[in-house]
Amino acid sequence: MSAGRLVSRTSLYGFALLVCVVTAFPVLWMVATSLKTPSEALQSPPVWIPSSPTLEAYGQVGDVIDVGRSFVNSALIATITTAGILVTSLLAGYVFAKYRFRGRDALFALLIATMFLPPIVTLIPLYRIVGQLGIDGNLAGVIVPNLANAFGIFLMRQFIAGVPDELIEAARLDGASELRIVFSIVAPVVLPALATLALFAFVYHWNSYLWPLTVLQGNEDHAPIVLSLARLLTYTGSAQNTPIVMAGATLAVLPPLLLFVVLQRFFVNTMARTGLSG
Amino acid sequence: MRVARQPLWTVGFLAPSVALIGVFVLVPIGLTLWLSLHEWSTATPFSEASWVGLDNFKALFEGAIVGRDFRQSWRNTFVYAGLSIALILPLSVVLGIIIQRSTIRGRTVLRTVLFATYTIPMIAVAIVWSKLYSPSEGPINEALGWFGIAPQPWLSSTSTALVSLVFLNVWQQLGYFTVLVVAGLTQISPSVFEAAALDGARTLKLHAYVTIPLLRRTLLFCVVIALINAIQVFEPVVAITQGGPVGSTNVLTYHIRQVGIERSQGGLASAMAVMLLLSLMVVVTFVFALARRAEDR
Repeated sequence: MSAGRLVSRTSLYGFALLVCVVTAFPVLWMVATSLKTPSEALQSPPVWIPSSPTLEAYGQVGDVIDVGRSFVNSALIATITTAGILVTSLLAGYVFAKYRFRGRDALFALLIATMFLPPIVTLIPLYRIVGQLGIDGNLAGVIVPNLANAFGIFLMRQFIAGVPDELIEAARLDGASELRIVFSIVAPVVLPALATLALFAFVYHWNSYLWPLTVLQGNEDHAPIVLSLARLLTYTGSAQNTPIVMAGATLAVLPPLLLFVVLQRFFVNTMARTGLSG
Repeated sequence: MRVARQPLWTVGFLAPSVALIGVFVLVPIGLTLWLSLHEWSTATPFSEASWVGLDNFKALFEGAIVGRDFRQSWRNTFVYAGLSIALILPLSVVLGIIIQRSTIRGRTVLRTVLFATYTIPMIAVAIVWSKLYSPSEGPINEALGWFGIAPQPWLSSTSTALVSLVFLNVWQQLGYFTVLVVAGLTQISPSVFEAAALDGARTLKLHAYVTIPLLRRTLLFCVVIALINAIQVFEPVVAITQGGPVGSTNVLTYHIRQVGIERSQGGLASAMAVMLLLSLMVVVTFVFALARRAEDR
Protein backbone atom coordinates (compact mmCIF):
# COMPACT_ATOMS: atom_id res chain seq x y z
CA MET A 1 0.00 0.00 0.00
CA SER A 2 1.50 3.33 -1.04
CA ALA A 3 1.73 6.23 1.39
CA GLY A 4 -0.86 8.23 -0.54
CA ARG A 5 -3.31 5.36 -0.47
CA LEU A 6 -2.76 4.89 3.25
CA VAL A 7 -3.51 8.56 3.88
CA SER A 8 -6.68 8.48 1.77
CA ARG A 9 -7.90 5.30 3.46
CA THR A 10 -7.24 6.71 6.91
CA SER A 11 -9.11 9.91 6.10
CA LEU A 12 -11.99 7.83 4.69
CA TYR A 13 -12.24 5.91 7.97
CA GLY A 14 -11.90 9.17 9.90
CA PHE A 15 -14.74 10.78 7.97
CA ALA A 16 -17.01 7.72 8.32
CA LEU A 17 -16.31 7.58 12.06
CA LEU A 18 -17.00 11.30 12.47
CA VAL A 19 -20.34 10.94 10.67
CA CYS A 20 -21.28 7.98 12.89
CA VAL A 21 -20.41 9.88 16.06
CA VAL A 22 -22.26 13.06 15.06
CA THR A 23 -25.27 11.00 13.98
CA ALA A 24 -25.44 8.85 17.08
CA PHE A 25 -24.60 11.59 19.58
CA PRO A 26 -28.03 13.26 19.99
CA VAL A 27 -29.64 9.86 20.58
CA LEU A 28 -26.98 8.83 23.10
CA TRP A 29 -27.32 12.22 24.79
CA MET A 30 -31.08 11.75 25.02
CA VAL A 31 -30.69 8.36 26.72
CA ALA A 32 -27.85 9.56 28.98
CA THR A 33 -29.82 12.61 30.10
CA SER A 34 -32.89 10.48 30.85
CA LEU A 35 -30.72 8.61 33.39
CA LYS A 36 -29.43 11.76 35.12
CA THR A 37 -30.50 13.17 38.47
CA PRO A 38 -32.18 16.63 38.41
CA SER A 39 -29.05 18.30 39.79
CA GLU A 40 -26.82 16.66 37.17
CA ALA A 41 -29.13 17.97 34.45
CA LEU A 42 -28.63 21.52 35.78
CA GLN A 43 -24.84 21.42 35.78
CA SER A 44 -22.74 23.58 33.54
CA PRO A 45 -20.44 22.47 31.98
CA PRO A 46 -22.75 19.55 31.13
CA VAL A 47 -22.38 16.09 32.62
CA TRP A 48 -21.57 13.71 29.73
CA ILE A 49 -22.09 10.43 31.54
CA PRO A 50 -24.40 10.23 34.59
CA SER A 51 -22.38 9.28 37.67
CA SER A 52 -25.17 7.27 39.30
CA PRO A 53 -27.68 6.37 36.57
CA THR A 54 -31.26 6.33 37.81
CA LEU A 55 -34.56 5.30 36.22
CA GLU A 56 -36.43 7.78 38.42
CA ALA A 57 -37.25 10.10 35.51
CA TYR A 58 -39.05 7.27 33.71
CA GLY A 59 -41.41 6.93 36.65
CA GLN A 60 -42.08 10.67 36.70
CA VAL A 61 -43.15 10.80 33.04
CA GLY A 62 -46.40 9.21 34.15
CA ASP A 63 -47.07 12.03 36.61
CA VAL A 64 -47.49 14.47 33.73
CA ILE A 65 -48.86 12.47 30.82
CA ASP A 66 -50.81 9.23 30.54
CA VAL A 67 -48.04 7.15 28.97
CA GLY A 68 -50.02 3.94 28.57
CA ARG A 69 -52.96 5.65 26.97
CA SER A 70 -50.74 7.69 24.63
CA PHE A 71 -48.93 4.52 23.54
CA VAL A 72 -52.20 2.71 22.89
CA ASN A 73 -53.42 5.69 20.83
CA SER A 74 -50.20 5.81 18.82
CA ALA A 75 -50.26 2.04 18.31
CA LEU A 76 -53.90 2.15 17.13
CA ILE A 77 -53.23 5.06 14.77
CA ALA A 78 -50.05 3.54 13.32
CA THR A 79 -51.21 -0.08 12.97
CA ILE A 80 -54.73 0.56 11.65
CA THR A 81 -53.46 3.16 9.17
CA THR A 82 -50.65 0.84 8.05
CA ALA A 83 -53.01 -2.11 7.63
CA GLY A 84 -55.40 0.07 5.62
CA ILE A 85 -52.61 1.35 3.38
CA LEU A 86 -51.32 -2.19 2.74
CA VAL A 87 -54.77 -3.44 1.69
CA THR A 88 -55.82 -0.43 -0.44
CA SER A 89 -52.38 -0.25 -2.09
CA LEU A 90 -52.30 -3.98 -2.90
CA LEU A 91 -55.76 -3.89 -4.49
CA ALA A 92 -55.22 -0.71 -6.51
CA GLY A 93 -51.62 -1.60 -7.39
CA TYR A 94 -52.80 -4.97 -8.74
CA VAL A 95 -55.36 -3.37 -11.05
CA PHE A 96 -52.92 -0.71 -12.28
CA ALA A 97 -50.21 -3.31 -12.88
CA LYS A 98 -52.21 -6.12 -14.46
CA TYR A 99 -55.32 -4.68 -16.02
CA ARG A 100 -55.76 -2.31 -18.96
CA PHE A 101 -58.72 0.04 -19.07
CA ARG A 102 -59.54 3.36 -20.62
CA GLY A 103 -58.13 6.32 -18.66
CA ARG A 104 -55.88 4.07 -16.58
CA ASP A 105 -52.70 6.06 -17.08
CA ALA A 106 -54.46 9.39 -16.49
CA LEU A 107 -56.04 8.11 -13.26
CA PHE A 108 -52.70 6.70 -12.12
CA ALA A 109 -50.93 10.00 -12.87
CA LEU A 110 -53.61 11.95 -10.97
CA LEU A 111 -53.23 9.73 -7.89
CA ILE A 112 -49.43 9.78 -8.03
CA ALA A 113 -49.33 13.58 -8.30
CA THR A 114 -50.78 13.76 -4.78
CA MET A 115 -47.58 12.12 -3.51
CA PHE A 116 -45.76 15.42 -4.01
CA LEU A 117 -48.31 17.60 -2.25
CA PRO A 118 -47.23 19.22 1.04
CA PRO A 119 -49.99 18.37 3.56
CA ILE A 120 -50.44 22.01 4.60
CA VAL A 121 -51.95 22.79 1.17
CA THR A 122 -55.04 20.73 1.99
CA LEU A 123 -55.02 20.97 5.80
CA ILE A 124 -57.68 23.63 6.26
CA PRO A 125 -60.49 22.23 4.04
CA LEU A 126 -59.58 18.72 5.22
CA TYR A 127 -60.04 19.81 8.82
CA ARG A 128 -63.48 21.14 7.93
CA ILE A 129 -64.47 18.04 5.91
CA VAL A 130 -63.54 15.75 8.79
CA GLY A 131 -65.53 18.04 11.07
CA GLN A 132 -68.60 17.80 8.80
CA LEU A 133 -68.25 14.01 8.79
CA GLY A 134 -68.44 14.20 12.59
CA ILE A 135 -65.17 12.34 13.22
CA ASP A 136 -63.06 15.29 14.40
CA GLY A 137 -61.69 15.13 17.91
CA ASN A 138 -61.27 11.34 17.91
CA LEU A 139 -59.06 8.57 16.57
CA ALA A 140 -61.27 7.92 13.54
CA GLY A 141 -60.60 11.47 12.40
CA VAL A 142 -56.85 10.88 12.66
CA ILE A 143 -56.97 7.51 10.88
CA VAL A 144 -59.64 7.55 8.15
CA PRO A 145 -58.18 10.25 5.83
CA ASN A 146 -54.88 8.32 5.68
CA LEU A 147 -56.11 4.82 4.84
CA ALA A 148 -54.94 5.10 1.23
CA ASN A 149 -51.91 6.84 -0.19
CA ALA A 150 -50.24 7.40 -3.52
CA PHE A 151 -46.80 6.15 -2.52
CA GLY A 152 -48.26 2.76 -1.55
CA ILE A 153 -50.16 2.41 -4.82
CA PHE A 154 -47.05 3.39 -6.78
CA LEU A 155 -44.84 0.95 -4.89
CA MET A 156 -47.29 -1.94 -5.29
CA ARG A 157 -47.83 -1.31 -9.00
CA GLN A 158 -44.06 -1.32 -9.60
CA PHE A 159 -43.61 -4.65 -7.85
CA ILE A 160 -46.78 -6.42 -8.96
CA ALA A 161 -45.87 -5.60 -12.59
CA GLY A 162 -42.94 -7.99 -12.07
CA VAL A 163 -45.17 -10.90 -10.96
CA PRO A 164 -45.41 -13.38 -13.92
CA ASP A 165 -48.81 -13.30 -15.68
CA GLU A 166 -48.71 -17.12 -15.98
CA LEU A 167 -48.86 -17.40 -12.20
CA ILE A 168 -52.04 -15.32 -12.10
CA GLU A 169 -53.57 -17.07 -15.14
CA ALA A 170 -52.92 -20.49 -13.57
CA ALA A 171 -54.70 -19.45 -10.40
CA ARG A 172 -57.63 -18.10 -12.43
CA LEU A 173 -57.93 -21.40 -14.29
CA ASP A 174 -58.04 -23.12 -10.90
CA GLY A 175 -61.09 -21.02 -10.19
CA ALA A 176 -59.49 -18.65 -7.67
CA SER A 177 -61.31 -15.35 -7.18
CA GLU A 178 -59.43 -12.12 -7.91
CA LEU A 179 -59.43 -11.31 -4.19
CA ARG A 180 -57.86 -14.67 -3.46
CA ILE A 181 -55.28 -14.17 -6.20
CA VAL A 182 -54.22 -10.83 -4.73
CA PHE A 183 -53.87 -12.03 -1.18
CA SER A 184 -52.58 -15.58 -1.57
CA ILE A 185 -50.67 -15.48 -4.90
CA VAL A 186 -49.51 -11.90 -5.49
CA ALA A 187 -48.93 -10.71 -1.92
CA PRO A 188 -46.38 -13.42 -0.97
CA VAL A 189 -44.35 -12.67 -4.12
CA VAL A 190 -44.12 -8.95 -3.31
CA LEU A 191 -43.52 -9.49 0.41
CA PRO A 192 -40.29 -7.41 0.56
CA ALA A 193 -42.13 -4.45 -0.95
CA LEU A 194 -45.02 -4.94 1.48
CA ALA A 195 -42.55 -5.02 4.38
CA THR A 196 -40.96 -1.79 3.15
CA LEU A 197 -44.34 -0.12 2.75
CA ALA A 198 -45.34 -1.30 6.24
CA LEU A 199 -42.12 0.15 7.68
CA PHE A 200 -42.57 3.52 6.01
CA ALA A 201 -46.28 3.76 6.80
CA PHE A 202 -45.89 2.73 10.43
CA VAL A 203 -42.96 5.08 11.06
CA TYR A 204 -44.68 7.95 9.25
CA HIS A 205 -47.95 7.61 11.14
CA TRP A 206 -46.40 6.87 14.52
CA ASN A 207 -44.39 10.10 14.11
CA SER A 208 -47.05 12.19 12.40
CA TYR A 209 -47.78 15.40 14.30
CA LEU A 210 -49.46 18.11 12.24
CA TRP A 211 -52.67 16.22 11.44
CA PRO A 212 -53.35 14.70 14.91
CA LEU A 213 -52.63 18.09 16.52
CA THR A 214 -55.10 19.77 14.19
CA VAL A 215 -57.90 17.22 14.17
CA LEU A 216 -57.84 16.29 17.88
CA GLN A 217 -58.18 19.91 19.03
CA GLY A 218 -56.49 19.29 22.34
CA ASN A 219 -58.51 16.18 23.20
CA GLU A 220 -55.90 14.53 25.41
CA ASP A 221 -57.74 11.21 25.74
CA HIS A 222 -56.96 10.47 22.10
CA ALA A 223 -53.52 12.09 21.92
CA PRO A 224 -50.73 9.93 20.45
CA ILE A 225 -47.38 9.88 22.25
CA VAL A 226 -45.86 12.54 19.98
CA LEU A 227 -48.49 15.08 21.10
CA SER A 228 -48.14 14.05 24.75
CA LEU A 229 -44.40 14.56 24.40
CA ALA A 230 -44.91 18.22 23.47
CA ARG A 231 -47.16 18.59 26.50
CA LEU A 232 -44.53 16.95 28.67
CA LEU A 233 -42.05 19.56 27.41
CA THR A 234 -44.35 22.48 28.29
CA TYR A 235 -45.19 21.14 31.74
CA THR A 236 -41.58 20.51 32.67
CA GLY A 237 -40.01 23.75 31.46
CA SER A 238 -37.09 24.15 33.86
CA ALA A 239 -33.74 22.50 33.14
CA GLN A 240 -33.85 20.24 36.20
CA ASN A 241 -36.82 18.44 34.66
CA THR A 242 -34.93 17.67 31.45
CA PRO A 243 -34.39 14.00 32.45
CA ILE A 244 -38.18 13.53 32.54
CA VAL A 245 -38.59 14.97 29.04
CA MET A 246 -35.72 12.84 27.74
CA ALA A 247 -37.19 9.73 29.35
CA GLY A 248 -40.48 10.41 27.55
CA ALA A 249 -38.66 11.00 24.27
CA THR A 250 -36.67 7.77 24.67
CA LEU A 251 -39.90 5.80 25.15
CA ALA A 252 -41.55 7.45 22.13
CA VAL A 253 -38.58 6.73 19.86
CA LEU A 254 -38.40 3.00 20.63
CA PRO A 255 -41.28 1.47 18.57
CA PRO A 256 -40.40 2.98 15.15
CA LEU A 257 -36.69 2.44 15.76
CA LEU A 258 -37.16 -1.23 16.69
CA LEU A 259 -39.39 -1.83 13.69
CA PHE A 260 -36.70 -0.34 11.46
CA VAL A 261 -34.04 -2.61 12.93
CA VAL A 262 -36.26 -5.65 12.30
CA LEU A 263 -37.33 -4.72 8.76
CA GLN A 264 -34.28 -2.86 7.46
CA ARG A 265 -32.90 -5.78 5.43
CA PHE A 266 -35.86 -5.49 3.06
CA PHE A 267 -35.87 -1.89 2.26
CA VAL A 268 -32.63 -0.91 0.50
CA ASN A 269 -33.26 -3.44 -2.26
CA THR A 270 -36.87 -2.36 -2.49
CA MET A 271 -35.94 1.28 -2.86
CA ALA A 272 -33.47 0.41 -5.58
CA ARG A 273 -36.15 -1.49 -7.49
CA THR A 274 -38.89 1.13 -7.36
CA GLY A 275 -37.18 2.97 -10.17
CA LEU A 276 -38.04 6.06 -8.13
CA SER A 277 -34.42 6.85 -7.74
CA GLY A 278 -32.73 5.76 -10.92
CA MET B 1 -77.36 -6.10 -20.74
CA ARG B 2 -73.75 -5.06 -20.86
CA VAL B 3 -73.27 -2.08 -18.55
CA ALA B 4 -69.51 -1.77 -18.79
CA ARG B 5 -66.67 -3.60 -20.43
CA GLN B 6 -64.57 -3.25 -17.37
CA PRO B 7 -65.06 -6.18 -14.98
CA LEU B 8 -66.74 -5.18 -11.76
CA TRP B 9 -63.91 -6.45 -9.57
CA THR B 10 -61.45 -3.91 -10.98
CA VAL B 11 -63.85 -1.12 -10.02
CA GLY B 12 -64.19 -2.62 -6.56
CA PHE B 13 -60.42 -2.91 -6.16
CA LEU B 14 -59.83 0.70 -7.18
CA ALA B 15 -62.78 2.16 -5.28
CA PRO B 16 -61.26 2.34 -1.78
CA SER B 17 -58.11 4.14 -2.94
CA VAL B 18 -59.86 6.43 -5.40
CA ALA B 19 -62.61 7.33 -2.93
CA LEU B 20 -60.24 8.00 -0.03
CA ILE B 21 -57.70 9.99 -2.06
CA GLY B 22 -60.56 11.75 -3.83
CA VAL B 23 -62.40 12.84 -0.70
CA PHE B 24 -59.39 13.55 1.50
CA VAL B 25 -56.84 14.91 -1.00
CA LEU B 26 -58.29 15.89 -4.40
CA VAL B 27 -61.50 17.54 -3.14
CA PRO B 28 -59.52 19.51 -0.52
CA ILE B 29 -57.14 20.80 -3.23
CA GLY B 30 -60.15 22.09 -5.16
CA LEU B 31 -61.58 23.59 -1.98
CA THR B 32 -58.30 25.32 -1.16
CA LEU B 33 -58.35 26.97 -4.61
CA TRP B 34 -62.01 27.92 -4.19
CA LEU B 35 -61.65 29.18 -0.61
CA SER B 36 -58.67 31.34 -1.57
CA LEU B 37 -61.13 33.54 -3.46
CA HIS B 38 -63.51 33.79 -0.50
CA GLU B 39 -63.73 35.22 2.95
CA TRP B 40 -64.49 32.26 5.14
CA SER B 41 -64.17 31.39 8.83
CA THR B 42 -62.79 27.89 9.36
CA ALA B 43 -65.32 27.43 12.18
CA THR B 44 -68.27 27.64 9.76
CA PRO B 45 -69.55 25.37 6.95
CA PHE B 46 -68.19 25.95 3.43
CA SER B 47 -71.57 27.42 2.44
CA GLU B 48 -70.86 30.46 4.62
CA ALA B 49 -67.95 31.54 2.41
CA SER B 50 -68.46 34.85 0.64
CA TRP B 51 -66.78 35.79 -2.65
CA VAL B 52 -64.01 38.39 -2.41
CA GLY B 53 -62.20 37.80 -5.70
CA LEU B 54 -58.46 38.31 -5.41
CA ASP B 55 -58.62 40.34 -2.18
CA ASN B 56 -56.88 37.64 -0.13
CA PHE B 57 -54.01 37.53 -2.60
CA LYS B 58 -53.79 41.34 -2.65
CA ALA B 59 -53.45 41.33 1.14
CA LEU B 60 -50.48 38.96 0.83
CA PHE B 61 -48.63 41.39 -1.45
CA GLU B 62 -49.47 44.58 0.45
CA GLY B 63 -47.48 46.37 3.14
CA ALA B 64 -49.78 45.62 6.09
CA ILE B 65 -48.81 43.13 8.79
CA VAL B 66 -50.72 40.26 7.09
CA GLY B 67 -48.58 40.57 3.97
CA ARG B 68 -45.33 41.16 5.82
CA ASP B 69 -45.77 38.10 8.06
CA PHE B 70 -46.65 35.94 5.08
CA ARG B 71 -43.72 37.11 2.99
CA GLN B 72 -41.35 36.58 5.91
CA SER B 73 -42.58 33.02 6.42
CA TRP B 74 -42.32 32.41 2.66
CA ARG B 75 -38.71 33.64 2.65
CA ASN B 76 -37.83 31.68 5.77
CA THR B 77 -39.30 28.50 4.26
CA PHE B 78 -37.35 28.72 1.02
CA VAL B 79 -34.11 29.78 2.74
CA TYR B 80 -34.56 26.80 5.05
CA ALA B 81 -35.23 24.49 2.10
CA GLY B 82 -32.32 25.85 0.07
CA LEU B 83 -29.82 25.51 2.91
CA SER B 84 -31.10 22.02 3.74
CA ILE B 85 -30.66 20.87 0.14
CA ALA B 86 -27.23 22.51 -0.12
CA LEU B 87 -26.06 20.46 2.86
CA ILE B 88 -27.96 17.22 2.29
CA LEU B 89 -27.12 16.73 -1.39
CA PRO B 90 -23.28 16.71 -1.30
CA LEU B 91 -23.15 14.84 2.03
CA SER B 92 -25.54 12.13 0.86
CA VAL B 93 -23.58 11.65 -2.38
CA VAL B 94 -20.27 11.27 -0.52
CA LEU B 95 -21.78 8.94 2.09
CA GLY B 96 -23.68 6.96 -0.54
CA ILE B 97 -20.48 6.41 -2.51
CA ILE B 98 -18.61 5.40 0.66
CA ILE B 99 -21.34 2.90 1.58
CA GLN B 100 -21.83 1.46 -1.90
CA ARG B 101 -18.42 1.70 -3.59
CA SER B 102 -15.69 1.83 -0.95
CA THR B 103 -14.23 -1.25 0.71
CA ILE B 104 -13.97 0.10 4.26
CA ARG B 105 -15.23 -2.05 7.11
CA GLY B 106 -18.41 -1.17 8.95
CA ARG B 107 -20.17 0.31 5.92
CA THR B 108 -23.49 -1.34 6.81
CA VAL B 109 -23.18 -0.01 10.36
CA LEU B 110 -22.76 3.47 8.90
CA ARG B 111 -25.87 3.00 6.76
CA THR B 112 -27.93 1.68 9.66
CA VAL B 113 -26.87 4.45 12.04
CA LEU B 114 -27.55 7.11 9.40
CA PHE B 115 -30.98 5.85 8.43
CA ALA B 116 -32.05 5.22 12.03
CA THR B 117 -32.39 8.97 12.65
CA TYR B 118 -35.06 9.10 9.95
CA THR B 119 -37.31 6.85 12.03
CA ILE B 120 -37.19 9.14 15.08
CA PRO B 121 -40.27 11.34 15.53
CA MET B 122 -39.50 14.94 14.55
CA ILE B 123 -40.97 16.17 17.84
CA ALA B 124 -38.42 14.06 19.76
CA VAL B 125 -35.64 15.34 17.50
CA ALA B 126 -36.78 18.90 18.16
CA ILE B 127 -36.88 18.40 21.93
CA VAL B 128 -33.47 16.75 22.09
CA TRP B 129 -31.83 19.37 19.86
CA SER B 130 -33.39 22.23 21.83
CA LYS B 131 -31.46 20.88 24.83
CA LEU B 132 -28.28 20.28 22.80
CA TYR B 133 -28.46 23.90 21.65
CA SER B 134 -28.93 25.25 25.19
CA PRO B 135 -26.46 28.17 25.40
CA SER B 136 -25.52 27.51 29.05
CA GLU B 137 -25.74 23.77 29.83
CA GLY B 138 -25.83 22.45 26.25
CA PRO B 139 -23.11 20.08 25.01
CA ILE B 140 -22.72 21.75 21.60
CA ASN B 141 -21.38 25.04 22.97
CA GLU B 142 -19.26 23.05 25.41
CA ALA B 143 -17.72 21.02 22.56
CA LEU B 144 -17.15 24.17 20.45
CA GLY B 145 -15.29 25.62 23.45
CA TRP B 146 -12.73 22.79 23.21
CA PHE B 147 -11.73 24.16 19.82
CA GLY B 148 -11.67 27.73 21.07
CA ILE B 149 -14.94 28.65 19.35
CA ALA B 150 -17.10 31.16 21.24
CA PRO B 151 -20.52 29.96 22.49
CA GLN B 152 -23.31 30.51 19.96
CA PRO B 153 -26.84 31.71 20.80
CA TRP B 154 -28.41 29.07 18.46
CA LEU B 155 -32.20 29.14 18.82
CA SER B 156 -32.30 32.35 20.84
CA SER B 157 -30.98 34.78 18.21
CA THR B 158 -32.69 35.99 15.02
CA SER B 159 -29.48 35.50 13.05
CA THR B 160 -28.88 31.84 14.02
CA ALA B 161 -32.29 30.33 14.84
CA LEU B 162 -33.30 29.33 11.29
CA VAL B 163 -29.86 27.85 10.54
CA SER B 164 -30.07 25.89 13.81
CA LEU B 165 -33.30 24.34 12.55
CA VAL B 166 -31.59 23.51 9.23
CA PHE B 167 -28.87 21.52 11.06
CA LEU B 168 -31.53 19.60 12.96
CA ASN B 169 -33.31 18.82 9.68
CA VAL B 170 -30.10 17.72 7.94
CA TRP B 171 -29.27 15.48 10.88
CA GLN B 172 -32.65 13.78 10.68
CA GLN B 173 -32.93 13.44 6.89
CA LEU B 174 -29.38 12.69 5.75
CA GLY B 175 -29.75 8.92 6.16
CA TYR B 176 -32.85 8.78 4.01
CA PHE B 177 -31.17 10.60 1.14
CA THR B 178 -28.00 8.54 1.53
CA VAL B 179 -30.13 5.43 1.05
CA LEU B 180 -31.69 6.99 -2.07
CA VAL B 181 -28.18 7.59 -3.43
CA VAL B 182 -27.15 4.02 -2.53
CA ALA B 183 -30.25 2.78 -4.36
CA GLY B 184 -29.31 4.93 -7.36
CA LEU B 185 -25.74 3.59 -7.33
CA THR B 186 -26.93 -0.03 -7.39
CA GLN B 187 -28.65 0.78 -10.70
CA ILE B 188 -25.33 1.71 -12.32
CA SER B 189 -23.73 -1.27 -14.00
CA PRO B 190 -20.47 -2.30 -12.25
CA SER B 191 -18.83 -2.58 -15.68
CA VAL B 192 -18.96 1.22 -15.91
CA PHE B 193 -16.72 1.48 -12.89
CA GLU B 194 -14.41 -1.28 -14.15
CA ALA B 195 -14.04 0.37 -17.53
CA ALA B 196 -13.32 3.72 -15.94
CA ALA B 197 -10.80 2.19 -13.55
CA LEU B 198 -8.99 0.36 -16.39
CA ASP B 199 -8.81 3.73 -18.05
CA GLY B 200 -6.63 4.74 -15.14
CA ALA B 201 -9.14 7.16 -13.67
CA ARG B 202 -8.34 7.96 -10.06
CA THR B 203 -11.06 7.56 -7.49
CA LEU B 204 -12.03 11.20 -7.06
CA LYS B 205 -12.00 11.90 -10.78
CA LEU B 206 -13.93 8.71 -11.42
CA HIS B 207 -16.73 9.81 -9.14
CA ALA B 208 -16.74 13.40 -10.36
CA TYR B 209 -16.84 12.54 -14.06
CA VAL B 210 -18.54 9.15 -14.12
CA THR B 211 -20.57 8.45 -10.99
CA ILE B 212 -22.20 11.81 -10.39
CA PRO B 213 -23.32 12.36 -14.02
CA LEU B 214 -24.83 8.85 -13.98
CA LEU B 215 -26.64 9.71 -10.75
CA ARG B 216 -28.28 12.77 -12.31
CA ARG B 217 -31.83 11.44 -12.16
CA THR B 218 -31.41 10.23 -8.58
CA LEU B 219 -30.08 13.63 -7.56
CA LEU B 220 -32.93 15.41 -9.32
CA PHE B 221 -35.39 13.24 -7.41
CA CYS B 222 -33.50 13.94 -4.16
CA VAL B 223 -33.72 17.70 -4.69
CA VAL B 224 -37.47 17.57 -5.29
CA ILE B 225 -38.15 15.33 -2.27
CA ALA B 226 -35.82 17.31 0.00
CA LEU B 227 -37.63 20.49 -1.05
CA ILE B 228 -41.05 19.03 -0.32
CA ASN B 229 -39.86 17.61 3.01
CA ALA B 230 -38.31 20.96 3.98
CA ILE B 231 -41.58 22.77 3.31
CA GLN B 232 -43.22 20.51 5.90
CA VAL B 233 -41.01 21.70 8.79
CA PHE B 234 -43.39 22.16 11.69
CA GLU B 235 -42.65 20.39 14.99
CA PRO B 236 -39.50 22.32 16.01
CA VAL B 237 -41.34 25.56 15.29
CA VAL B 238 -44.62 24.77 17.04
CA ALA B 239 -43.01 23.11 20.07
CA ILE B 240 -39.76 25.03 20.51
CA THR B 241 -39.49 28.42 18.78
CA GLN B 242 -43.17 29.35 18.09
CA GLY B 243 -41.86 31.08 14.99
CA GLY B 244 -39.50 33.31 16.95
CA PRO B 245 -37.36 35.03 17.89
CA VAL B 246 -39.12 37.93 16.12
CA GLY B 247 -40.53 35.77 13.36
CA SER B 248 -37.12 34.46 12.28
CA THR B 249 -38.33 30.84 12.29
CA ASN B 250 -41.88 31.53 11.18
CA VAL B 251 -42.28 29.06 8.30
CA LEU B 252 -45.21 28.43 5.97
CA THR B 253 -46.63 25.21 7.42
CA TYR B 254 -46.67 26.84 10.86
CA HIS B 255 -47.90 30.21 9.64
CA ILE B 256 -50.69 28.87 7.40
CA ARG B 257 -51.92 26.69 10.25
CA GLN B 258 -51.81 29.62 12.69
CA VAL B 259 -53.87 31.79 10.35
CA GLY B 260 -56.25 29.12 9.07
CA ILE B 261 -56.84 26.97 12.16
CA GLU B 262 -55.88 28.98 15.26
CA ARG B 263 -57.25 32.28 13.92
CA SER B 264 -59.93 30.64 11.74
CA GLN B 265 -59.16 32.89 8.75
CA GLY B 266 -59.72 30.02 6.33
CA GLY B 267 -59.94 32.09 3.15
CA LEU B 268 -56.75 34.03 3.77
CA ALA B 269 -54.85 30.90 4.80
CA SER B 270 -56.07 29.14 1.64
CA ALA B 271 -54.65 31.97 -0.47
CA MET B 272 -51.33 31.43 1.32
CA ALA B 273 -51.55 27.70 0.58
CA VAL B 274 -52.20 28.46 -3.10
CA MET B 275 -49.16 30.77 -3.19
CA LEU B 276 -47.09 27.99 -1.64
CA LEU B 277 -48.31 25.49 -4.24
CA LEU B 278 -47.57 27.93 -7.09
CA SER B 279 -44.08 28.69 -5.73
CA LEU B 280 -43.40 24.99 -5.42
CA MET B 281 -44.47 24.36 -9.02
CA VAL B 282 -42.26 27.21 -10.27
CA VAL B 283 -39.23 25.95 -8.34
CA VAL B 284 -39.72 22.33 -9.43
CA THR B 285 -40.14 23.38 -13.07
CA PHE B 286 -36.96 25.46 -12.77
CA VAL B 287 -35.03 22.54 -11.25
CA PHE B 288 -36.17 20.23 -14.06
CA ALA B 289 -35.24 22.81 -16.71
CA LEU B 290 -31.81 23.15 -15.12
CA ALA B 291 -31.37 19.37 -15.09
CA ARG B 292 -32.37 19.15 -18.75
CA ARG B 293 -29.85 21.82 -19.70
CA ALA B 294 -27.13 19.94 -17.84
CA GLU B 295 -28.12 16.80 -19.74
CA ASP B 296 -27.93 18.55 -23.11
CA ARG B 297 -24.44 19.77 -22.51
